[in-house]
Parts: sequence; structure tokens; C-alpha cells
Amino acid sequence: MMNFEEPNANLVSHEFLAVILAGFGDELHPLVSDHGDEPCPKALLPVANMPMIDFPLTWLEQSGITEVLLICPAAHRSSISHHIHSDTSSSSYPSLHVDVQTYDESPDEPVGTCAVLKRFSSRIQRDFVILPCDFIPPEDLPLSSLLNKYRVESNLDGAIVTSCWLKAHDADKGAVPEEWGRIGSSVPIIWDKKSGTLLHIDTPDDRDRNFDELEIRMSLLSRYPVASLSSKYTDSHVYVCKRSVLDVLHHRSMFDSFREEFLPWLCKIQYQKTKREKYGRVLRSIMTKEAQVLALRHSTLFGGSIHAQDLSSRGSNSPSLKPVPFSVTSSPAHLDEGDEPLASLRIGIITHDTVFACRVNNIAALLEANRQFLSRTNYTLPTDPDNRALIDAKSQISSDSMVGSSTKIGERATIKRSVIGRHCVIGKMSRVVGCILLDHCVIGEGAKLEGCILGRNTKVGARAELLRSLTQAGYEADAGATIRNEKLEVSDWTAGPGEESDEE
Amino acid sequence: MTRTIVMSSISHRHFRAPSQTDGTGQNDPPTAGAAQKPQKQLTKAERRELQERQRAAKAAQTGSSTVKQPRPTAPASSHPKKGGKGSEGPVQGRGSPSTGPSGPPNKSTKESKPTAATAAEEAAGRSRGLRIFSHFALQKSVGHVAKGDVHPAIVRLGLMFAEFKICGANARSIATLSVFKRVIQDYTTPANNTLSRHLMTHLSVQISHLVSARPMSVTMGNAIRQLKLEISGSDIDLPEQDAKDALCGKIDNYIRDRIIIADQVIQETAMKKIHDGDVVLTYARSSIVQKVLLEAWAGGTQFSVIVVDSRPMLEGKRLLSTLAAAAIPCTYLLLPALGCVISEVSIVLVGAHSIHSNGAIFSRAGTALVAMMAKQHSVPVVVCCETYKFSEGVRLDSFTKNELAPPGDPFSSFPRNRSPGSLVIQNQPNLEILNPLYDLTPPSSITAVVTEAGVIPPDAISSIPLALGRLV
Repeated sequence: MMNFEEPNANLVSHEFLAVILAGFGDELHPLVSDHGDEPCPKALLPVANMPMIDFPLTWLEQSGITEVLLICPAAHRSSISHHIHSDTSSSSYPSLHVDVQTYDESPDEPVGTCAVLKRFSSRIQRDFVILPCDFIPPEDLPLSSLLNKYRVESNLDGAIVTSCWLKAHDADKGAVPEEWGRIGSSVPIIWDKKSGTLLHIDTPDDRDRNFDELEIRMSLLSRYPVASLSSKYTDSHVYVCKRSVLDVLHHRSMFDSFREEFLPWLCKIQYQKTKREKYGRVLRSIMTKEAQVLALRHSTLFGGSIHAQDLSSRGSNSPSLKPVPFSVTSSPAHLDEGDEPLASLRIGIITHDTVFACRVNNIAALLEANRQFLSRTNYTLPTDPDNRALIDAKSQISSDSMVGSSTKIGERATIKRSVIGRHCVIGKMSRVVGCILLDHCVIGEGAKLEGCILGRNTKVGARAELLRSLTQAGYEADAGATIRNEKLEVSDWTAGPGEESDEE
Repeated sequence: MTRTIVMSSISHRHFRAPSQTDGTGQNDPPTAGAAQKPQKQLTKAERRELQERQRAAKAAQTGSSTVKQPRPTAPASSHPKKGGKGSEGPVQGRGSPSTGPSGPPNKSTKESKPTAATAAEEAAGRSRGLRIFSHFALQKSVGHVAKGDVHPAIVRLGLMFAEFKICGANARSIATLSVFKRVIQDYTTPANNTLSRHLMTHLSVQISHLVSARPMSVTMGNAIRQLKLEISGSDIDLPEQDAKDALCGKIDNYIRDRIIIADQVIQETAMKKIHDGDVVLTYARSSIVQKVLLEAWAGGTQFSVIVVDSRPMLEGKRLLSTLAAAAIPCTYLLLPALGCVISEVSIVLVGAHSIHSNGAIFSRAGTALVAMMAKQHSVPVVVCCETYKFSEGVRLDSFTKNELAPPGDPFSSFPRNRSPGSLVIQNQPNLEILNPLYDLTPPSSITAVVTEAGVIPPDAISSIPLALGRLV
């Protein structure tokens, strides 16, 4: 009998671990509120009829990472795990090995990402990639280019993190109500284009301290005299990090948010001497094992600017110092094995300007992401005869809409620029313009919907008019109701039959 | 029967392009008749024309099939950097000169497929690919996920090779061997297998990944061959960890003996060649020449250095900053200015990528020029080279195997206000960049080769394995 076991199962250790953080989605309220007893996780909220979490998972699969650690609130665990691991769902991922872990969080007290990472740092034993569950990656930026930049830089000169920043998208004013949030609030950053190093992120704390001016250190400028400053970029929250970054995180327990507090602090290590001395050792611990020290000394295109001895004898950073994006090597004449190259401990940055990408963390972003997908689609009637029969011949569906399977569309219904989920029922003569309907919605006859987002199982009565409203899953709007610019929750509806247009 | 007429009429079309299709019938017999004329009576020009016609006919057969599918082949030729494997290259190179003249008339007569022809022309116009040196092409590794079980350290190394972050024969072999040490340490023998047999297959996967990033250098090949010899010779009865430690120890010994200590011996020998008041000339940057110069200066000899450099790699700049930091008086110039200074030079020191049995040196492109100029002016040319760079074969030219430099000038930094992407010269529809990395210096231009086995005249290089007492 031949032995057909997997021969190379543990020959190659996996290089990266992907950590996907799924939160509650506070800004997407009321879409993420519970449907009865069942939670509606933000991660499963569909964008263009695909659950949001499918986007980063597909991106990961394409880049070749196989190990995923997904961290979600305890309440969402079963639905998310069911979605990922079930074979029947169309979005199963054969090559990914997803480990779903939970943390206890209630919507009232949000837990910061730093705390979550600290809690799970024992499960993260190698270099990791942090991804948010709501990231829609751009089509022309594969994750492998981020990974490649990290691989080269961490070996070459000890970079610790590689981040990706997207161009903030300007929405049309007035298209979206102010309270629905802004897409991709941009943050002023300073970075060096030539070496792709992120130098400074402006945090809300900095802004509180000094609103008018942007304070930066001279040591930053003397190292990188030609740096660029822009406020047009927004953080994608995709970080490829070295494992030792978690060790530093344990040292700094006061940080709560990775993006807002820890990362700007990490940027400062590369040019602030005191921080460097304190944390350099921690961050550098694995570097010498992986770095090709001897090979780089012999490499013809490497280093050659300053002696290591000159570097240590310098007191303060002198302005005549040439910025050295590569780490400094000592003269090859001194071939001591103990010489360590000076790690640059820098943060890499990839900026992405071209194709649309964003984080769908508020309502405006959700609308915009759906709009982007709609602009690329072309609606055609379904070929499947059962589905085809459900869609009435006299209905008008514009080409920039999406209709999910098993949706019944009644006679003379008009659908324009909308995303309709699965198993919906759109009544006769209704008008749905610029809306997003999740699964199982029922729209009564003659209803008019414009610019709305309806949660799952929403029922809209006949001849109702909803304009720019959001509904929680399971909401029922009465027949003939007129609702404008409101976020509707189920509690309003159960409050009493007479009060339908109350605010939350 | 019909086929032969069609074929000859096609070939006829290529050379009498203005004549219309109805005239082929009449023109056939004279062509056939002319071909029938005995070879001796044809003049040289006619013989040549006949040869061209036959070649064009052959190419027309392949050409007609290629024009019918313009899409697959035009993109194949427009991506020399993507698909430039050795086997495809020479075929293209051979096919293209003959399709050159027959190409345009071919397209003009194939009116039945105007759209296909214009598409082919447009696709070809976009990037024709290097006609004669298409086999030099670099293989792109961006966006390609490693096939098979490639160790992450090998993936990183491949990236560093492809981006020329680790460059130079010594650097690459040291880097490869160090990474192989890690691969061996992380390796576990699967059940029902022995380390000596299975490790080789495992390493072959890693090696093919590295080769896809950048073609293997002679030094890497020699080192890997030695490693494979050690692996196959490892004792089956040893416990796995001991066997792995033994292999890593042998790798360390190889690096130490053949590279580091060899460099030290070469330094001592070559130092003696530099006397007070000498003007030493060196080209681009060689790790061993750099060591020699620094060691000689540290030993107290007073000399000055002329560093000759060339684009696009501009490695001499880095050598210049290292030497200047050691306070050695230096002059820096580009290769075209060599003639101005050569008369003042007392010795030329260059490094090598590999040395061959016939005494030829394969080195950075431009070394041959320097050596030739120096020889012309009776300046001794001394090549510093470790014995592990010795390659058994005879190399007569640098065309059969070479590499292209990375596009543009990846390390240019001026002007600083422009993004580095815009400073790189790209291939354009009417511009193909050809920057071979290596060239061959014939043994006649070389005075001596300094190895750790001694100072050897170039015609005695084939005796290096003998001098070392073993096969290299």
C-alpha cells in the first residue's frame, strides 16, 4: 500500500499570519443592530451583494497567505464562523485556514485594537498582517506587493511595519446627509517618496495640542530633507508588521487604538534618539538572524556612505549628514562577526491613488462603495429560468443596478442605480432609486424609495415613501407612511402603531 | 501538387510585392526556371537572392501562421521581459530578421485579414522586444506567488536579487549559502525518506525559485554543486539534527575558506603589487578590489586611486565614498574619459564575475574596454579573483549568456523633487533599452590573475583545479 500522505506539510513554515479585526461597526448603526435576537455583524454586511468580509479574504487568498486569525465580538462568532466555514456558501475559501477567536465586548464600551492585539499576542508568533474586516481593496494593488516591500525592507535595513494609504475620496456635497459620516476622513501625513518611508502622522492629540501648526522634529528633517506632506490620504488600516512590534506594544500599555495612537508613536522611533535607544533592542532582536549581514557587506550596490564609527561618535544630528535610506554598514575591512548593522526601524508606506478603495466603516462609505461597484456592473436578466420567471417582463431595471437571486420583481416596478439583495419582493408599480436593499426585503405596491438603505427583512407597506432613510433589520414601515432622513429602529415600530415617524 | 504551387506563389509574392495576384501564374515558370539553373552558373548575388527567397518562403509558412494569430505572438514579443526564456529567445531572434523584410509585404497582401494585420502591427509597434538580445531578458517576478514549497527566506532573497539590492558575485553566493543554512535547519525529513535524497529535491525547488528571480551566477552554481556533493555524501546513519548541523558547518567552512580567507590571501598578495606613489585604476566596484585597496592603505602605502564608472549601475560611486571615507586620494570619472588618464596609471586592478578555462574573464560590462586600453598603453592589468569563481567551460563571447541591467537608473537620486518612478527610463514603442551587465575580457588583455593559489598568468588558468588539488 502506498503512502500518500502530504509529504511537505511542515517543510515550509508559513511566513505571515493575517489578523482580521471585526468590530461592532458603531458608525453603521442601525444596520448592525440586532435583528430580533440575532446579531447583524458588520463583517457580514453586504457590499454589492457580497458580505463585506469576503473582500479582504479574497485579497488574502490571492496573495498566498494561508493562515488567518479572525477576531470578532463574542456575539458575532457563530454567524461569522458559519459564513466562513460552511461549504455550501458561495464564498468558501479552500486554501485559507481561518481561526475565529472572540473577545468580550459590548457596544457600550468599545475595546481598542491595541488591547485586542495584546490579548491575542500569544497566538501571533510570526510576522503578521493586520486587516480590517471592512476594507475594499483596490483591484490593481495585490497584497503581495505590500508583502514584497515588507520582505525586502525588513531584511535589508530593519524596517518594522509597512502600511498602505489610500487617496481619500471626495464625495459630492449634499448627496449624503452630514450625519451619515464622511468617507475616509483623511489625515495629514509626512512621508519620503524615494524610499517609501512614513515619517509622521498627525494624530487628534496633536491637533488638540496645537491646532494651527504641525510640529515635527528637526531630526526627522535632517534625515529626510526631501519629504512630502499631504492631507489627501487616508489610512487603509492594512499593516504588515514584525512580530517584535507586539513586544513593544506590551511595553506601552496606555495606547488604545493602533491606528490613532500606536502607529504615529512608532513612526517616531526612527528619528528620535531616546525612543530608539529604549526600544531599539526590542525591535532588533530577530533582525540579525534574518539579515544578510555578510552578504550585504560584499554587495556592490549597498551602503558605502558612512562608517558605523562616525555614526556613533556623532553627538546630535548634524545638518551635513547625508540621509541614508539604507542602513549603514561598517567598513568591510573590519570583518568582525559581532558588528551589527544599524537597523533603520522605519515604517514603509505604499500610497495608492488610482483605483477606488476605501474602508466601509460608516454609512457614507457604504453608499459610495456600492455606487462604485454599480458603476462597473451591467445588469442583465438572469439566465436561470426560475429566477427569470420571478422578474416581471414589464419591470424596468436600469443597467447600473444589481439584483440578487430569487428576487421577485413585480409588474412595472422601476429599479435604478440600486442594489437589491436576495429573496426580496418588490411590489408592482414601486420605484426604487439609488437604494441598497439587503436580503429578504418586502416592498409593497406603489412604494417609493430613494436613497435608502434597508436592513434585512424590512417590510415597507404599500404606497409608503422613504427618502434617505436607514432601517434596522426587521423594521416594518406602515402603508402610506412618509419618512424622510431618518434612522429607523425596530423599537420605534414596536412602540406603537400610531407613531411611525419618530426619531431614535 | 496544388500545395506546391501555392507555396511558391506565396514566396513569389514576398519578393514581387507590387505585382498583383493574377500575375503569379505567368511568373511562376520563370521563377521555377531560375531556381532550376545550376548553382555554378548563378552569380554570388543571385545565389544569395535564391537563399533569401528560400528563407523567406520558410518564414512565410511560419509567418502566415503567426499573422493568423497575431494576438498570441505579438504579446509574446512585446513582453521580452516576461517570457524571455532561453528557448524562445533564439527562435525569435532567428525568425525576426527574415520576417523583417517579408513582414510588410506579407501584411499588405493579406487583405483578407486587415484587422488582424493592423492589430499585429500595432501590438508589435508597442514593444517589439529586443531583436538580437532577447535571450538576455529579465524575468519578472512581481506579483507572482511562489510555486511549491518555497521557504519564506528564499522568497525574500529572490526579491532582493530581482531588485538588485544584493548584487555582485561574492555577495550573491554568500547570501544564497546563508539562506540555505536556514532552509536546512528548518527542514524535516518526511517519513520513509532519507535526508540525503529528499533534501536535494527540496533544495532544487528553492533553487529554481531563485533562478526565476535572477539567473544563476557561476559562483552560485559552484557553491550549490559543492553543497549537493556534501549532501549526497552525508552519512545515512546520523541523526537528523546532527546531519543538518554537519551540513551547516560545511557551508560555513566553504564561505570561510573559499571566500573570506581567500580574500585575505588575495589582499596580501595584491598589496605587494601596489607601491608608494602608484596610481591604481579600478573599474566599477568589486568587493575584493575594495578590500585590497583599503588594506593596502591601512598598511601604510601611499597611493592614489582612479575609479572608473559607467551607467546604469554606477557602482563606482559607492566604492568612491568608501575609499574617500578612508581618506584615500581618489579621482572619479566615467568610462568615456578613460583615454585622458590612462597614461598616468601604473596598475589596473579589476574584479571578476567568473574566470574560464581559456583565460577569459567575465566581468561587469566595461571591464574589457578598460583592460584593452590599459594593455595598449602597457599598463599591467591585474585581476583579483577567488578560485571558486573558476568555470570549466570555455567562453569566447559575451553574447551567448548575459543579463540585462534593471531598467533605468534605480539608484539615481537627482533631481530630488521628482519621484523616483519618473526618473527611470522605460521601454517605449520606438525605444528599447539594452544594458547588458557583463562582458568578456580576452586573455590577451590580462597580465595576471591573483588568486589564493598564487599569481597566475591568464593562459595557465585551466590549471587552477590542479593547483588546488581537487575539482573545483
